[in-house]
Amino acid sequence: MKGSVVQALILTDWHRHRLHILLCLVCGGLALALIQVGGELPTIFGATVFFVGLIVLGSMLPVSNVINERKKQTLPFLMSLPLSVTQYTAAKIVSTVGMFLVPWLTLVVAAVSFIATHPVIPDGFIPAILIAAIFTFVGFCVIAGVALVSESEGATIAATIGSNSLYGFGWYLLIRNPAIRADMSSPVIVWSREVLTILGIEIAVIALILGLTFYLQSRKRDFI
Amino acid sequence: MTDLAIQLNAVMKKYRYFTLDNIDLQLPAGQIMGLIGPNGAGKSTTIRILLGLIHQDQGDVQVLGHRMPAEQVAAKWDIGFASEDMRLYEGMTLDWHMSFIRSIYPKWDAAYSQLLLKRFGLRAQQKIKGFSHGQRVKATLLLVLARRPQLLVLDEPTTGLDPVARHEILRELTAVMTDEGRSILFSSHNTQDVEQISDQITFIDRGRIIDSMDKEAYLDRWRRLRLEAPSGIELPALPGIINIRQTGRLAVATANAFVPDLANAYENTGARVQSVENMTLEEIFVANVEHSREEVEV
Repeated sequence: MKGSVVQALILTDWHRHRLHILLCLVCGGLALALIQVGGELPTIFGATVFFVGLIVLGSMLPVSNVINERKKQTLPFLMSLPLSVTQYTAAKIVSTVGMFLVPWLTLVVAAVSFIATHPVIPDGFIPAILIAAIFTFVGFCVIAGVALVSESEGATIAATIGSNSLYGFGWYLLIRNPAIRADMSSPVIVWSREVLTILGIEIAVIALILGLTFYLQSRKRDFI
Repeated sequence: MTDLAIQLNAVMKKYRYFTLDNIDLQLPAGQIMGLIGPNGAGKSTTIRILLGLIHQDQGDVQVLGHRMPAEQVAAKWDIGFASEDMRLYEGMTLDWHMSFIRSIYPKWDAAYSQLLLKRFGLRAQQKIKGFSHGQRVKATLLLVLARRPQLLVLDEPTTGLDPVARHEILRELTAVMTDEGRSILFSSHNTQDVEQISDQITFIDRGRIIDSMDKEAYLDRWRRLRLEAPSGIELPALPGIINIRQTGRLAVATANAFVPDLANAYENTGARVQSVENMTLEEIFVANVEHSREEVEV
Protein backbone atom coordinates (compact mmCIF):
# COMPACT_ATOMS: atom_id res chain seq x y z
CA MET A 1 0.00 0.00 0.00
CA LYS A 2 2.66 2.47 1.09
CA GLY A 3 4.80 1.81 -1.95
CA SER A 4 1.85 2.38 -4.25
CA VAL A 5 1.18 5.91 -2.95
CA VAL A 6 4.82 6.88 -3.47
CA GLN A 7 4.69 5.29 -6.90
CA ALA A 8 1.47 7.10 -7.77
CA LEU A 9 3.06 10.40 -6.77
CA ILE A 10 6.15 9.74 -8.89
CA LEU A 11 4.04 8.78 -11.92
CA THR A 12 1.92 11.90 -11.43
CA ASP A 13 4.99 14.13 -11.41
CA TRP A 14 6.32 12.45 -14.54
CA HIS A 15 3.00 12.82 -16.30
CA ARG A 16 2.75 16.51 -15.44
CA HIS A 17 6.30 17.25 -16.62
CA ARG A 18 6.45 15.03 -19.68
CA LEU A 19 6.54 18.00 -22.06
CA HIS A 20 9.47 19.60 -20.22
CA ILE A 21 11.47 16.38 -20.48
CA LEU A 22 10.61 16.00 -24.16
CA LEU A 23 11.58 19.61 -24.88
CA CYS A 24 14.94 19.14 -23.18
CA LEU A 25 15.60 15.97 -25.21
CA VAL A 26 14.71 17.79 -28.45
CA CYS A 27 16.91 20.72 -27.46
CA GLY A 28 19.84 18.39 -26.66
CA GLY A 29 19.31 16.47 -29.89
CA LEU A 30 19.43 19.71 -31.87
CA ALA A 31 22.61 20.72 -30.04
CA LEU A 32 24.29 17.42 -30.94
CA ALA A 33 23.11 17.77 -34.55
CA LEU A 34 24.72 21.21 -34.66
CA ILE A 35 28.00 19.78 -33.36
CA GLN A 36 27.81 17.10 -36.04
CA VAL A 37 27.72 19.81 -38.71
CA GLY A 38 31.35 20.45 -37.79
CA GLY A 39 33.36 23.64 -37.76
CA GLU A 40 34.27 25.82 -34.82
CA LEU A 41 31.11 27.98 -34.60
CA PRO A 42 28.48 25.19 -34.82
CA THR A 43 30.49 23.10 -32.33
CA ILE A 44 30.75 25.92 -29.77
CA PHE A 45 27.12 26.92 -30.32
CA GLY A 46 25.95 23.29 -30.11
CA ALA A 47 27.95 22.65 -26.91
CA THR A 48 26.52 25.84 -25.38
CA VAL A 49 22.93 24.87 -26.25
CA PHE A 50 23.60 21.37 -24.90
CA PHE A 51 24.73 22.59 -21.47
CA VAL A 52 22.27 25.48 -21.28
CA GLY A 53 19.44 22.99 -21.91
CA LEU A 54 20.60 20.81 -19.01
CA ILE A 55 21.11 23.80 -16.73
CA VAL A 56 17.66 25.24 -17.50
CA LEU A 57 16.01 21.87 -16.87
CA GLY A 58 18.01 21.45 -13.66
CA SER A 59 16.88 24.89 -12.45
CA MET A 60 13.28 24.60 -13.56
CA LEU A 61 12.36 21.11 -12.30
CA PRO A 62 12.81 21.69 -8.53
CA VAL A 63 10.82 24.94 -8.72
CA SER A 64 8.03 23.38 -10.75
CA ASN A 65 7.90 20.07 -8.90
CA VAL A 66 8.52 21.18 -5.30
CA ILE A 67 8.19 24.93 -4.75
CA ASN A 68 5.09 25.38 -6.89
CA GLU A 69 3.32 22.66 -4.94
CA ARG A 70 3.59 24.81 -1.83
CA LYS A 71 2.98 28.07 -3.68
CA LYS A 72 -0.08 26.80 -5.54
CA GLN A 73 -1.36 25.01 -2.43
CA THR A 74 -1.49 21.53 -3.92
CA LEU A 75 0.72 20.28 -1.07
CA PRO A 76 -2.20 19.95 1.41
CA PHE A 77 -3.98 17.83 -1.23
CA LEU A 78 -0.98 15.49 -1.50
CA MET A 79 -0.40 15.36 2.24
CA SER A 80 -4.03 14.37 2.80
CA LEU A 81 -3.06 11.07 1.15
CA PRO A 82 -1.68 8.18 3.21
CA LEU A 83 1.85 9.48 3.03
CA SER A 84 4.45 10.52 5.61
CA VAL A 85 6.81 13.47 5.17
CA THR A 86 9.69 11.04 4.59
CA GLN A 87 7.70 9.18 1.92
CA TYR A 88 6.76 12.48 0.29
CA THR A 89 10.45 13.46 0.29
CA ALA A 90 11.42 10.10 -1.20
CA ALA A 91 8.76 10.46 -3.92
CA LYS A 92 9.87 14.01 -4.73
CA ILE A 93 13.57 13.14 -4.85
CA VAL A 94 12.98 10.06 -7.02
CA SER A 95 10.61 11.88 -9.38
CA THR A 96 12.65 15.10 -9.63
CA VAL A 97 16.04 13.37 -9.93
CA GLY A 98 14.53 10.82 -12.32
CA MET A 99 13.01 13.52 -14.54
CA PHE A 100 16.40 15.21 -14.74
CA LEU A 101 18.32 11.97 -15.08
CA VAL A 102 16.46 10.73 -18.17
CA PRO A 103 17.35 13.63 -20.50
CA TRP A 104 20.68 14.15 -18.73
CA LEU A 105 21.76 10.54 -19.15
CA THR A 106 20.41 10.33 -22.70
CA LEU A 107 22.23 13.46 -23.75
CA VAL A 108 25.47 12.61 -21.95
CA VAL A 109 25.52 9.11 -23.50
CA ALA A 110 24.74 10.68 -26.89
CA ALA A 111 27.53 13.26 -26.46
CA VAL A 112 30.07 10.64 -25.37
CA SER A 113 29.05 8.29 -28.23
CA PHE A 114 29.31 11.19 -30.65
CA ILE A 115 32.85 12.03 -29.52
CA ALA A 116 33.84 8.37 -29.52
CA THR A 117 32.63 7.84 -33.08
CA HIS A 118 33.88 11.11 -34.62
CA PRO A 119 37.59 11.40 -35.19
CA VAL A 120 37.40 15.24 -35.36
CA ILE A 121 37.08 15.50 -31.57
CA PRO A 122 39.73 13.51 -29.69
CA ASP A 123 38.47 10.80 -27.29
CA GLY A 124 40.56 12.48 -24.60
CA PHE A 125 37.72 15.00 -24.29
CA ILE A 126 35.36 12.39 -22.85
CA PRO A 127 36.52 12.53 -19.17
CA ALA A 128 36.32 16.34 -19.21
CA ILE A 129 32.83 16.19 -20.75
CA LEU A 130 31.78 13.73 -18.03
CA ILE A 131 33.17 15.96 -15.27
CA ALA A 132 31.38 19.00 -16.74
CA ALA A 133 28.11 17.09 -17.18
CA ILE A 134 28.18 15.62 -13.66
CA PHE A 135 28.86 19.13 -12.38
CA THR A 136 25.46 20.16 -13.78
CA PHE A 137 23.99 17.16 -11.93
CA VAL A 138 25.61 18.35 -8.68
CA GLY A 139 24.14 21.82 -9.24
CA PHE A 140 20.73 20.29 -9.89
CA CYS A 141 20.94 18.28 -6.62
CA VAL A 142 21.84 21.44 -4.69
CA ILE A 143 18.80 23.27 -6.11
CA ALA A 144 16.45 20.32 -5.51
CA GLY A 145 17.77 19.82 -1.95
CA VAL A 146 17.40 23.50 -1.08
CA ALA A 147 13.88 23.55 -2.58
CA LEU A 148 12.76 20.56 -0.50
CA VAL A 149 14.38 21.55 2.78
CA SER A 150 13.87 25.32 2.70
CA GLU A 151 10.36 25.24 1.12
CA SER A 152 11.23 28.76 0.03
CA GLU A 153 11.12 30.19 -3.46
CA GLY A 154 13.68 32.86 -2.52
CA ALA A 155 16.18 30.34 -1.16
CA THR A 156 15.71 28.14 -4.24
CA ILE A 157 16.29 31.06 -6.58
CA ALA A 158 19.44 31.93 -4.59
CA ALA A 159 20.63 28.31 -4.87
CA THR A 160 19.89 28.37 -8.61
CA ILE A 161 21.86 31.58 -9.14
CA GLY A 162 24.71 30.25 -7.00
CA SER A 163 24.90 26.90 -8.81
CA ASN A 164 24.59 28.41 -12.27
CA SER A 165 27.30 30.96 -11.49
CA LEU A 166 29.65 28.23 -10.34
CA TYR A 167 29.34 26.21 -13.59
CA GLY A 168 31.47 28.68 -15.56
CA PHE A 169 34.02 28.89 -12.76
CA GLY A 170 34.14 25.08 -12.46
CA TRP A 171 34.65 24.58 -16.18
CA TYR A 172 37.32 27.29 -16.21
CA LEU A 173 39.22 25.47 -13.45
CA LEU A 174 38.77 22.22 -15.36
CA ILE A 175 40.42 23.42 -18.55
CA ARG A 176 43.08 25.26 -16.56
CA ASN A 177 44.14 22.01 -14.89
CA PRO A 178 47.37 21.14 -16.75
CA ALA A 179 47.00 17.35 -16.45
CA ILE A 180 43.39 17.28 -17.62
CA ARG A 181 44.07 19.81 -20.34
CA ALA A 182 46.98 17.79 -21.67
CA ASP A 183 44.90 14.60 -21.80
CA MET A 184 42.06 16.33 -23.72
CA SER A 185 44.00 16.14 -26.97
CA SER A 186 44.81 12.47 -26.45
CA PRO A 187 43.32 10.14 -29.12
CA VAL A 188 42.35 7.70 -26.34
CA ILE A 189 40.45 8.20 -23.10
CA VAL A 190 42.81 8.82 -20.17
CA TRP A 191 41.41 8.12 -16.70
CA SER A 192 44.07 10.07 -14.82
CA ARG A 193 44.19 10.34 -11.04
CA GLU A 194 42.95 13.95 -11.29
CA VAL A 195 39.92 12.92 -13.37
CA LEU A 196 39.01 10.04 -11.05
CA THR A 197 39.44 12.24 -7.96
CA ILE A 198 37.15 14.96 -9.36
CA LEU A 199 34.53 12.39 -10.46
CA GLY A 200 34.72 10.76 -7.01
CA ILE A 201 34.24 14.11 -5.29
CA GLU A 202 31.28 14.96 -7.52
CA ILE A 203 29.57 11.63 -6.80
CA ALA A 204 30.27 11.96 -3.07
CA VAL A 205 28.78 15.49 -3.06
CA ILE A 206 25.63 14.20 -4.83
CA ALA A 207 25.25 11.41 -2.25
CA LEU A 208 25.87 13.87 0.59
CA ILE A 209 23.29 16.38 -0.67
CA LEU A 210 20.59 13.73 -1.18
CA GLY A 211 21.37 12.10 2.20
CA LEU A 212 21.32 15.45 3.98
CA THR A 213 18.00 16.33 2.31
CA PHE A 214 16.43 13.11 3.61
CA TYR A 215 17.87 13.66 7.08
CA LEU A 216 16.71 17.26 7.39
CA GLN A 217 13.25 16.46 6.03
CA SER A 218 12.79 13.58 8.46
CA ARG A 219 13.56 15.92 11.38
CA LYS A 220 10.86 18.44 10.44
CA ARG A 221 8.12 18.75 13.04
CA ASP A 222 5.87 21.11 11.12
CA PHE A 223 5.33 20.32 7.47
CA ILE A 224 2.33 22.37 6.44
CA MET B 1 -12.17 0.30 15.69
CA THR B 2 -12.24 2.39 18.87
CA ASP B 3 -15.44 4.16 20.04
CA LEU B 4 -13.68 7.48 19.73
CA ALA B 5 -12.84 8.72 16.26
CA ILE B 6 -10.65 11.49 17.68
CA GLN B 7 -9.02 11.84 21.08
CA LEU B 8 -6.68 14.65 22.10
CA ASN B 9 -5.29 14.73 25.62
CA ALA B 10 -3.42 17.74 27.01
CA VAL B 11 -2.06 18.67 23.59
CA MET B 12 0.26 21.65 23.44
CA LYS B 13 2.01 23.31 20.54
CA LYS B 14 4.09 26.43 21.02
CA TYR B 15 4.96 28.99 18.38
CA ARG B 16 6.63 32.34 18.88
CA TYR B 17 3.39 34.31 18.92
CA PHE B 18 0.79 31.60 19.44
CA THR B 19 0.31 28.64 21.75
CA LEU B 20 -2.20 25.86 21.41
CA ASP B 21 -2.68 25.22 25.08
CA ASN B 22 -3.72 22.03 26.84
CA ILE B 23 -6.23 20.87 24.24
CA ASP B 24 -8.58 18.06 25.29
CA LEU B 25 -11.01 16.94 22.64
CA GLN B 26 -13.05 13.82 22.05
CA LEU B 27 -15.19 12.97 19.03
CA PRO B 28 -17.24 9.78 19.43
CA ALA B 29 -17.51 7.63 16.30
CA GLY B 30 -20.63 8.39 14.28
CA GLN B 31 -20.88 12.01 15.38
CA ILE B 32 -20.40 15.36 13.67
CA MET B 33 -18.40 17.91 15.62
CA GLY B 34 -18.34 21.57 14.71
CA LEU B 35 -15.12 23.28 15.72
CA ILE B 36 -15.94 26.96 15.95
CA GLY B 37 -13.48 29.73 16.54
CA PRO B 38 -12.52 33.17 15.29
CA ASN B 39 -9.68 33.59 12.79
CA GLY B 40 -6.37 32.63 14.37
CA ALA B 41 -8.04 30.69 17.20
CA GLY B 42 -6.09 27.49 16.48
CA LYS B 43 -8.61 25.50 14.44
CA SER B 44 -6.25 24.76 11.55
CA THR B 45 -3.32 24.00 13.85
CA THR B 46 -5.48 21.53 15.79
CA ILE B 47 -6.58 19.88 12.54
CA ARG B 48 -3.03 19.65 11.20
CA ILE B 49 -1.93 18.03 14.46
CA LEU B 50 -4.77 15.53 14.03
CA LEU B 51 -3.44 14.64 10.59
CA GLY B 52 0.17 14.35 11.76
CA LEU B 53 1.26 17.26 9.56
CA ILE B 54 2.30 19.25 12.63
CA HIS B 55 3.87 17.46 15.59
CA GLN B 56 2.54 18.43 19.01
CA ASP B 57 5.13 19.47 21.62
CA GLN B 58 3.21 17.70 24.38
CA GLY B 59 0.16 15.50 24.81
CA ASP B 60 -1.35 12.46 23.13
CA VAL B 61 -3.30 12.37 19.88
CA GLN B 62 -5.23 9.33 18.70
CA VAL B 63 -7.21 9.26 15.47
CA LEU B 64 -9.24 6.16 14.59
CA GLY B 65 -7.19 4.30 17.16
CA HIS B 66 -3.84 5.38 15.65
CA ARG B 67 -1.28 7.39 17.61
CA MET B 68 -0.37 10.57 15.78
CA PRO B 69 1.93 11.62 14.27
CA ALA B 70 3.76 8.25 14.40
CA GLU B 71 0.96 6.27 12.73
CA GLN B 72 -0.26 8.98 10.35
CA VAL B 73 0.10 6.84 7.23
CA ALA B 74 -2.11 4.06 8.62
CA ALA B 75 -4.63 6.60 9.93
CA LYS B 76 -4.84 8.58 6.69
CA TRP B 77 -6.13 5.58 4.74
CA ASP B 78 -9.42 6.18 6.55
CA ILE B 79 -9.34 9.98 6.84
CA GLY B 80 -10.74 12.29 4.20
CA PHE B 81 -9.27 15.75 4.62
CA ALA B 82 -10.25 18.92 2.79
CA SER B 83 -9.34 22.46 3.71
CA GLU B 84 -10.16 25.91 2.45
CA ASP B 85 -6.52 26.43 1.40
CA MET B 86 -6.29 23.13 -0.48
CA ARG B 87 -5.97 23.30 -4.27
CA LEU B 88 -5.97 20.65 -6.97
CA TYR B 89 -3.59 20.65 -9.96
CA GLU B 90 -4.85 23.51 -12.12
CA GLY B 91 -3.59 22.10 -15.41
CA MET B 92 -5.28 18.73 -14.92
CA THR B 93 -8.90 17.71 -15.38
CA LEU B 94 -11.18 16.51 -12.62
CA ASP B 95 -11.25 13.13 -14.38
CA TRP B 96 -7.45 12.93 -14.08
CA HIS B 97 -7.70 13.68 -10.35
CA MET B 98 -10.36 11.00 -9.96
CA SER B 99 -8.11 8.45 -11.68
CA PHE B 100 -5.21 9.52 -9.48
CA ILE B 101 -7.17 9.03 -6.25
CA ARG B 102 -8.75 5.81 -7.55
CA SER B 103 -5.25 4.41 -8.20
CA ILE B 104 -4.44 4.92 -4.52
CA TYR B 105 -7.63 4.04 -2.64
CA PRO B 106 -8.99 0.51 -3.04
CA LYS B 107 -12.28 1.64 -1.45
CA TRP B 108 -12.90 4.28 -4.18
CA ASP B 109 -16.60 4.19 -5.01
CA ALA B 110 -16.87 4.84 -8.76
CA ALA B 111 -20.68 4.84 -8.79
CA TYR B 112 -20.82 7.34 -5.94
CA SER B 113 -18.24 9.56 -7.65
CA GLN B 114 -20.46 9.66 -10.77
CA LEU B 115 -23.47 10.47 -8.61
CA LEU B 116 -21.58 13.32 -6.94
CA LEU B 117 -20.49 14.63 -10.34
CA LYS B 118 -24.16 14.96 -11.26
CA ARG B 119 -25.31 16.33 -7.91
CA PHE B 120 -22.57 18.95 -7.84
CA GLY B 121 -23.00 19.81 -11.52
CA LEU B 122 -19.32 19.22 -12.34
CA ARG B 123 -17.79 18.24 -15.69
CA ALA B 124 -15.11 15.58 -15.29
CA GLN B 125 -13.32 16.53 -18.52
CA GLN B 126 -12.91 20.17 -17.51
CA LYS B 127 -9.54 21.40 -16.26
CA ILE B 128 -9.49 22.61 -12.66
CA LYS B 129 -8.27 26.06 -13.70
CA GLY B 130 -11.61 26.60 -15.45
CA PHE B 131 -13.59 25.91 -12.26
CA SER B 132 -15.13 28.59 -10.06
CA HIS B 133 -14.23 28.61 -6.34
CA GLY B 134 -17.43 26.76 -5.51
CA GLN B 135 -16.76 24.12 -8.17
CA ARG B 136 -13.21 23.64 -6.85
CA VAL B 137 -14.51 23.05 -3.34
CA LYS B 138 -17.08 20.60 -4.66
CA ALA B 139 -14.44 18.81 -6.75
CA THR B 140 -12.19 18.48 -3.69
CA LEU B 141 -15.09 17.12 -1.64
CA LEU B 142 -15.99 14.66 -4.40
CA LEU B 143 -12.43 13.32 -4.30
CA VAL B 144 -12.62 13.02 -0.54
CA LEU B 145 -16.12 11.55 -0.23
CA ALA B 146 -15.79 8.93 -2.98
CA ARG B 147 -12.93 7.28 -1.05
CA ARG B 148 -15.54 6.45 1.62
CA PRO B 149 -13.42 7.54 4.60
CA GLN B 150 -14.34 6.65 8.19
CA LEU B 151 -13.48 10.15 9.34
CA LEU B 152 -13.95 13.40 7.45
CA VAL B 153 -11.85 16.32 8.60
CA LEU B 154 -12.96 19.54 6.96
CA ASP B 155 -11.18 22.80 7.65
CA GLU B 156 -13.45 25.73 6.74
CA PRO B 157 -14.91 23.92 3.71
CA THR B 158 -17.74 26.39 3.15
CA THR B 159 -15.69 29.60 3.31
CA GLY B 160 -16.35 31.84 0.32
CA LEU B 161 -19.22 29.74 -1.04
CA ASP B 162 -22.56 31.11 -2.18
CA PRO B 163 -25.65 29.95 -0.22
CA VAL B 164 -26.69 27.40 -2.86
CA ALA B 165 -23.25 25.75 -2.99
CA ARG B 166 -23.10 25.77 0.82
CA HIS B 167 -26.47 24.10 1.00
CA GLU B 168 -25.44 21.42 -1.53
CA ILE B 169 -22.29 20.63 0.41
CA LEU B 170 -23.96 20.53 3.81
CA ARG B 171 -26.70 18.29 2.40
CA GLU B 172 -24.07 15.89 1.10
CA LEU B 173 -22.22 15.86 4.42
CA THR B 174 -25.46 15.06 6.21
CA ALA B 175 -26.11 12.25 3.73
CA VAL B 176 -22.67 10.80 4.41
CA MET B 177 -23.69 10.34 8.04
CA THR B 178 -26.36 7.80 7.14
CA ASP B 179 -23.49 5.36 7.60
CA GLU B 180 -23.38 5.34 11.39
CA GLY B 181 -19.71 4.46 11.60
CA ARG B 182 -18.64 7.70 9.97
CA SER B 183 -17.55 10.78 11.85
CA ILE B 184 -16.96 14.37 10.79
CA LEU B 185 -14.87 17.13 12.33
CA PHE B 186 -15.90 20.36 10.68
CA SER B 187 -14.17 23.64 11.46
CA SER B 188 -15.74 26.96 10.63
CA HIS B 189 -16.31 30.45 11.83
CA ASN B 190 -19.75 30.28 10.21
CA THR B 191 -21.97 29.18 13.08
CA GLN B 192 -25.02 28.73 10.82
CA ASP B 193 -23.33 25.90 8.92
CA VAL B 194 -22.16 24.24 12.10
CA GLU B 195 -25.56 24.59 13.78
CA GLN B 196 -27.20 22.99 10.76
CA ILE B 197 -25.27 19.73 10.75
CA SER B 198 -23.38 19.22 14.02
CA ASP B 199 -24.16 16.96 16.97
CA GLN B 200 -21.29 18.27 19.07
CA ILE B 201 -19.95 21.80 19.29
CA THR B 202 -16.50 22.87 20.42
CA PHE B 203 -15.55 26.51 20.84
CA ILE B 204 -11.89 27.41 20.52
CA ASP B 205 -10.34 30.82 21.09
CA ARG B 206 -6.74 32.03 21.37
CA GLY B 207 -5.41 28.49 21.38
CA ARG B 208 -7.68 27.20 24.16
CA ILE B 209 -10.84 25.14 24.07
CA ILE B 210 -13.33 27.22 25.95
CA ASP B 211 -16.29 24.84 25.79
CA SER B 212 -17.24 21.54 24.21
CA MET B 213 -20.58 19.77 24.46
CA ASP B 214 -23.66 18.43 22.74
CA LYS B 215 -25.35 21.02 20.48
CA GLU B 216 -28.78 20.58 22.05
CA ALA B 217 -27.27 21.03 25.51
CA TYR B 218 -25.79 24.34 24.37
CA LEU B 219 -29.07 25.57 23.00
CA ASP B 220 -30.90 24.42 26.16
CA ARG B 221 -28.47 25.89 28.65
CA TRP B 222 -27.94 29.31 27.13
CA ARG B 223 -30.63 31.96 27.55
CA ARG B 224 -30.93 35.71 27.48
CA LEU B 225 -33.05 37.24 30.26
CA ARG B 226 -34.46 40.74 29.83
CA LEU B 227 -35.04 42.20 33.28
CA GLU B 228 -36.47 45.35 34.78
CA ALA B 229 -34.81 46.24 38.08
CA PRO B 230 -36.40 48.19 40.94
CA SER B 231 -35.36 51.83 40.88
CA GLY B 232 -31.83 52.41 42.18
CA ILE B 233 -31.01 48.67 42.49
CA GLU B 234 -28.06 47.11 40.69
CA LEU B 235 -29.00 43.52 39.78
CA PRO B 236 -26.48 40.84 40.83
CA ALA B 237 -25.05 38.13 38.53
CA LEU B 238 -26.67 35.07 40.07
CA PRO B 239 -25.11 31.59 39.73
CA GLY B 240 -25.48 30.48 36.09
CA ILE B 241 -25.25 34.05 34.80
CA ILE B 242 -22.00 34.85 33.04
CA ASN B 243 -22.78 38.43 32.14
CA ILE B 244 -25.23 41.11 33.14
CA ARG B 245 -25.44 44.56 31.55
CA GLN B 246 -27.69 47.13 33.13
CA THR B 247 -28.63 50.54 31.77
CA GLY B 248 -30.85 52.42 34.20
CA ARG B 249 -33.59 50.01 35.22
CA LEU B 250 -33.26 47.72 32.20
CA ALA B 251 -30.84 44.81 32.32
CA VAL B 252 -29.87 41.95 30.01
CA ALA B 253 -28.46 38.85 31.69
CA THR B 254 -26.78 36.02 29.75
CA ALA B 255 -27.09 32.57 31.30
CA ASN B 256 -24.83 29.64 30.38
CA ALA B 257 -26.50 27.27 32.83
CA PHE B 258 -30.13 28.26 32.60
CA VAL B 259 -32.75 26.62 34.79
CA PRO B 260 -36.33 27.96 35.17
CA ASP B 261 -35.56 28.75 38.84
CA LEU B 262 -33.14 31.43 37.66
CA ALA B 263 -36.03 33.64 36.54
CA ASN B 264 -37.73 33.09 39.90
CA ALA B 265 -34.50 33.97 41.69
CA TYR B 266 -34.38 37.33 39.89
CA GLU B 267 -38.03 37.98 40.72
CA ASN B 268 -37.14 37.32 44.36
CA THR B 269 -34.62 40.19 44.15
CA GLY B 270 -37.48 42.48 43.16
CA ALA B 271 -36.76 42.48 39.44
CA ARG B 272 -39.42 41.84 36.82
CA VAL B 273 -38.55 39.26 34.15
CA GLN B 274 -39.68 40.75 30.85
CA SER B 275 -38.64 37.80 28.70
CA VAL B 276 -36.48 34.69 28.57
CA GLU B 277 -35.09 34.27 25.06
CA ASN B 278 -33.36 31.42 23.28
CA MET B 279 -29.99 32.29 21.81
CA THR B 280 -28.62 31.37 18.40
CA LEU B 281 -25.37 29.45 18.21
CA GLU B 282 -23.69 32.61 16.94
CA GLU B 283 -24.87 34.58 19.97
CA ILE B 284 -23.74 31.76 22.27
CA PHE B 285 -20.37 31.66 20.51
CA VAL B 286 -19.79 35.40 20.84
CA ALA B 287 -20.93 35.46 24.48
CA ASN B 288 -18.76 32.45 25.27
CA VAL B 289 -15.65 33.96 23.66
CA GLU B 290 -16.16 37.31 25.39
CA HIS B 291 -16.69 35.60 28.77
CA SER B 292 -13.61 33.44 28.27
CA ARG B 293 -11.46 36.45 27.36
CA GLU B 294 -12.72 38.40 30.38
CA GLU B 295 -11.86 35.44 32.62
CA VAL B 296 -8.36 35.21 31.17
CA GLU B 297 -7.83 38.96 31.65
CA VAL B 298 -9.03 38.76 35.28
